[in-house]
Amino acid sequence: MLAYVARRLAMAVGTVLAAVLISFLLVHATDTSPGAVRLGPGGTPERIAAENEALGWNDPLYVQFFDYLGGFLQGDLGTSLVNGGSIAADLADRVPVTAFIALFATILSGIIGVALGVTAAVRGGRVGQLITTGAGVALSLPVFWVGIILVYLLAIQAGLLPATGYVAFAADPAGWFRSLTLPVLALTIGGAAIIARTANAGMREALAQEHIRTLRAMGTPEWRVRYVHALRFASVPVVSVLGIQFIALFGGSVIIENLFALPGLGQAGQAAAASSDFPALVGVVVVATVVVVVINLLLDLVVAVLDPKVRTA
Amino acid sequence: MSALPLDAAANTDLDAGRPSRPGRRLPYFLRRPGGLFGAVWLAFVVLASLTAPWWIPYGVAEQDLSNRLALPSADHWLGTDPLGRDLLSRIFSAGAEPLLGAGITVLVAFGIGLTMALIAAERGPRVERVSSRLAEVLLALPSTILLLAVIGAIGVRIFIVMAVLGVMISAAVYRVMLGVAKSVRQRLYVDAARVNGLSSLRVNLVHVLPSMGTVVAVQAAQLYGISLLIVAGLAFLGFGPAEPQPSWGFMIQDASSYVFSNPWLLVPTGVVLALTVVAANELADAIASRGSVARTTVRRRRPPARVGATATAGARPADPGAVLDVRDLHISVDDGPALVTGVSFALQPGRVLGLVGESGCGKTMTARSLMGLLPDGVSVSGGSIRWQGRELVGLSQEDLSAVRGREIAMISQEPMVALDPMFSVVYQLTQPIRRFRGVGRREARQIAAQLLRQVGIVDGERVLKSYPHQLSGGMAQRVCIALALTGEPRLLIADEPTTALDVTVQAEILSLLRALVRDTGLSVVIVSHDLGVVADICDDVAVMYAGTVVEDGTAAAVLDEPAHPYTQALLAANPHVADGEPVPTRLASIDGTVPPPGEWPTGCRFASRCLFAQEQCTQPFPSVPAHGSGSVLCTRVEELSRADVTWTSAPTTGPAGHETAPAATQPAPTVGVSR
Ligand code: SF4
Repeated sequence: MLAYVARRLAMAVGTVLAAVLISFLLVHATDTSPGAVRLGPGGTPERIAAENEALGWNDPLYVQFFDYLGGFLQGDLGTSLVNGGSIAADLADRVPVTAFIALFATILSGIIGVALGVTAAVRGGRVGQLITTGAGVALSLPVFWVGIILVYLLAIQAGLLPATGYVAFAADPAGWFRSLTLPVLALTIGGAAIIARTANAGMREALAQEHIRTLRAMGTPEWRVRYVHALRFASVPVVSVLGIQFIALFGGSVIIENLFALPGLGQAGQAAAASSDFPALVGVVVVATVVVVVINLLLDLVVAVLDPKVRTA
Repeated sequence: MSALPLDAAANTDLDAGRPSRPGRRLPYFLRRPGGLFGAVWLAFVVLASLTAPWWIPYGVAEQDLSNRLALPSADHWLGTDPLGRDLLSRIFSAGAEPLLGAGITVLVAFGIGLTMALIAAERGPRVERVSSRLAEVLLALPSTILLLAVIGAIGVRIFIVMAVLGVMISAAVYRVMLGVAKSVRQRLYVDAARVNGLSSLRVNLVHVLPSMGTVVAVQAAQLYGISLLIVAGLAFLGFGPAEPQPSWGFMIQDASSYVFSNPWLLVPTGVVLALTVVAANELADAIASRGSVARTTVRRRRPPARVGATATAGARPADPGAVLDVRDLHISVDDGPALVTGVSFALQPGRVLGLVGESGCGKTMTARSLMGLLPDGVSVSGGSIRWQGRELVGLSQEDLSAVRGREIAMISQEPMVALDPMFSVVYQLTQPIRRFRGVGRREARQIAAQLLRQVGIVDGERVLKSYPHQLSGGMAQRVCIALALTGEPRLLIADEPTTALDVTVQAEILSLLRALVRDTGLSVVIVSHDLGVVADICDDVAVMYAGTVVEDGTAAAVLDEPAHPYTQALLAANPHVADGEPVPTRLASIDGTVPPPGEWPTGCRFASRCLFAQEQCTQPFPSVPAHGSGSVLCTRVEELSRADVTWTSAPTTGPAGHETAPAATQPAPTVGVSR
C-alpha cells in the first residue's frame, strides 16, 4: 500500500513537471517574443530586444526553466505581460470560480446520470432505449449551444435566472448561486449523459455477473440484489468516470466561462492565449495541472475505499 | 467540452475478425437505424461541405443589408445572419475546416496511440511500463487549456492545433487499444502465426489489427465527434478562421448576441453541428452493437410457461416417493429453438442424482430451470417440475424466491466468481442467515462461523474477514457451500462443482458433499461432464445428449452395464472410472460434436456420431425401460445387447457387426482423428 501511495505521488509530481516543461517549450516555440507582446505595436526592434534581455528571454532555456521552477515552488508565477499584475494572485481568485462550477456540475451529473443509467439498466425495454438514445444525443450537443438555448429558455423566456455575469459569493450568496445555476446546468446535460451511459453499462455488466446469480439463487430480495450488490459493483467505473468528468469540466470550462462571462481560470486562459501573455499562459496550464493531479489522487483514494481488491492489495 | 468517454466503449465485442456474411446485405451497423442515419448524414455533410464552393447560392461574404436576420425563405433557405449573409452558404462553406481538422486529430491520435499499443503489446511488460507511464502523464494534462497555450504560442493554425490535440488524445487511444491488443494476442492464432515464422510487422498487420477493427472503428467515430466539438469550441472562443470566413463555432457565438431578438439564428448552425456529432456517435454505437443485438430485443418479462404440456411417448407416471419429480420438461429460447425436450427424472430424499453428458447437452439449463433461474430469453415451455408436491413451473419470481435458498440451494461452477467481490465473506454469510433464520447480527456471525466449520474450514475467523479475491478456489467453493447451507435447504443443485478446481481439491469437495448428504439427509442434483464424479458420489444418474435424457437408472447399473451407445462412448472415453477416484479426463475423445439446438435430426440425435446408426434410427421412437426403474432411448438397444456388441468392441473403422451397414446419410465415423 505504501509503495502504491509513493508511486502515485511520484506520478503526480512528474505530471506537474511535465506540464511546466511542455508549456515552457511551447511558449518558446513562438515566433514573437515577450518583449514584443509587452510593448505592443509601438515597440521598436531595439526596445523589444532590450525588454527581452531584461525579461531573461535570451538566457539559456534550462536557466529560465529552473528560474521558473524556483519561483513556482515559492508560489510565484511571474507577472503578466499585459497588465503587469501578479499571475499567482489573479489565478488564486479565479480557481474557486472554475472549481465550484466543475464541482457542482459533477455532483449534479452524478446524481442525474446514475438515476437515469440505473433505471435504464434495470427497466430495460422502451424506457431503457429512450434513456440510452437520449443520452447519446445529449452528450453530442455542443456545450456552448446548449448554454445559449438554456439562456433563451430559462433567462429570457421564463425570466428565472440571470442570463450571464458573475456575482461574488461574499457580496451576495443567493446571487452567487443564481449566477452559477445556468452554467452548471449547461455542463450537466452532457455530463449526466456520459454518467448515465457509464452507469447503464456498469449496471448491466454487474447484473450479468455470476455472483448476482448466486444472490438470486439464495432468494435475495430483488431490491437488495440491484441496489446493494449490483450498484456497488457498478460504483467503481462510475466514480472513475465522475473523476474524469470533473477534470474535463475543469479543463473545459473555458467555453462556458466565456459564454456566461464568469471570471474563472478558463477565461484567463482564453485571454492569455488571445494576447500571447506567455507567463500567464504557462501559469494557467500549471495551475490547471496541479488541480487535475490533486483530483486524480483523491480519486485513487476513493476507488481504493470502494474496491476491496485495491484496498487489501 | 465533453470528457473523453473512450473507456466506456472498451468492452466492445472483440470478435470482429470474422468476415461478414456473403451476399448483398448491408453491413450490420447500417441495418440499425442509428447507424444508417449516422453514415448517411456524415457522408452528406462531408460531401456538401467539400463541394460547397461549386454549389452554394451566395458568396460567404455577400451581404444583403436589406434582408438582415431573415427567417427562412425561398431566397434564403435557412435565413440570413446579422449582415444579411446567407446562412446555408455560410454553414456549408464553414464545414470543411472542422471536418478535416477533426479527421487530423483522429489520424494523429490513432497513428501514435495504436502504434504504441501494438508495440507495447508485442514487446512485453518492460516497454509497456514505460509507455503506460508516459500515457498516464499525458492523460493528466488539461488538454483544452494546453490547446490554448499552443494557440497563444503559434497562433490560430487550426490544423496544427488539431494535430497537437491528436497527440494528447493518443494517450487515451493507447490505453484502450493496449487492452484490446493484449487480449487479441493472447488468442492462440497469433502465437501460431509467429511459430510459422511471420515477421512481427506482418503478424500485427495481418492478424492483430483486423481483429481490432471493430474497436478501432468505434473509438475513431467517437473521437471524431469529440474533436468536432473541440474545433467548434475553439472557433466559438474566437480561435478560428477570421471574419468574413465563416466557422460553425463563431456563427454560434455571433448568434448568442442576438438570442434576445432573433433566436432563430441559433438553430441552423447549431443543428448542423449537433447532428454531425450525433451522427458520429450513433455510428460508433451501431458499430459497437455487434453481438449485442439480441440483448436489446429480448426482454425479461417472459411468457408464462405452459404448465402440464401433453406428455409425449416415454414420459413416465409421477413418482409418489420423490421429493423432486421432473416430467417431460421442455426448455426453449423464446421464439427460438428448443434447448431441452422431454426430460424426466425423479429424485428420492437423501439421494444424489447426476446429470451427465458433454457440454451443450442441456444439463445446466435443466438444473437452472429447477430454481427458475434460466437466463433472459430462455424459459420452460412445457412439462412440470414438482418439488415436494408443489408445481414450480409457472410460479412468479416472487414465489420462487421464497423457495430459493430456503428449500433449494445452488452451488455453481466457478466458485471464484460466485461470491460478490465487493463484500466480505462475513457479510455475505450473515445477510442470508439473518433473513432465513430471523436472528440478530451477533448470533448470525456465530452461525456463520459454525457453518464454515461444517464445510471443513479450520481458520474460520480469518476466512470470515476475507474478501473473495483473497480465497483460493477450493476455499471459495467451501464458502459457497456454506452459503448454500445458510437456509437449511432440502435440495442442493451443484453445477459442475469441481470442474474449476485442482484435482486434489476436487476430491475434497466431493467428500465434503458426500458427508453433507450423509449427515443432513440433503438431496443433491449434481451436473457434471465427468463420469468419475458420478461414479464417486451419485446414487442415480441421467445421461443427457442434445437436450434429452438418453439413459437413466441407478449409477451402479448405468455405469456397469451401459445400454445406450452414447453412455458406452462416454465410458470408453473416460476409461479410468473406478474405485471412487475422480477422473480429470475430459470427454474429448468421442468423434464429432453435439449438434446444436435447432439442428437436431428427427429420430436419434446421436445418430451422426453413433457407430451403430442405421436407417431405422432416423425415425422417431420411444424410450424403453431399463435398469429397473430407468430407461434407454435407443431403438437398437435390444438388438445390440442380443448381439453383445458394445462401443469398445465395435471395429473402429466402421459400423459394428458384420451385418450392420452405415446409414446412407451418415458418414462413417473416423475414430482417433482428433479435430
Ligand atoms: S443405435 Fe441408433 S438409436 Fe441407438 S444410439 Fe445409435 S443411432 Fe441412436
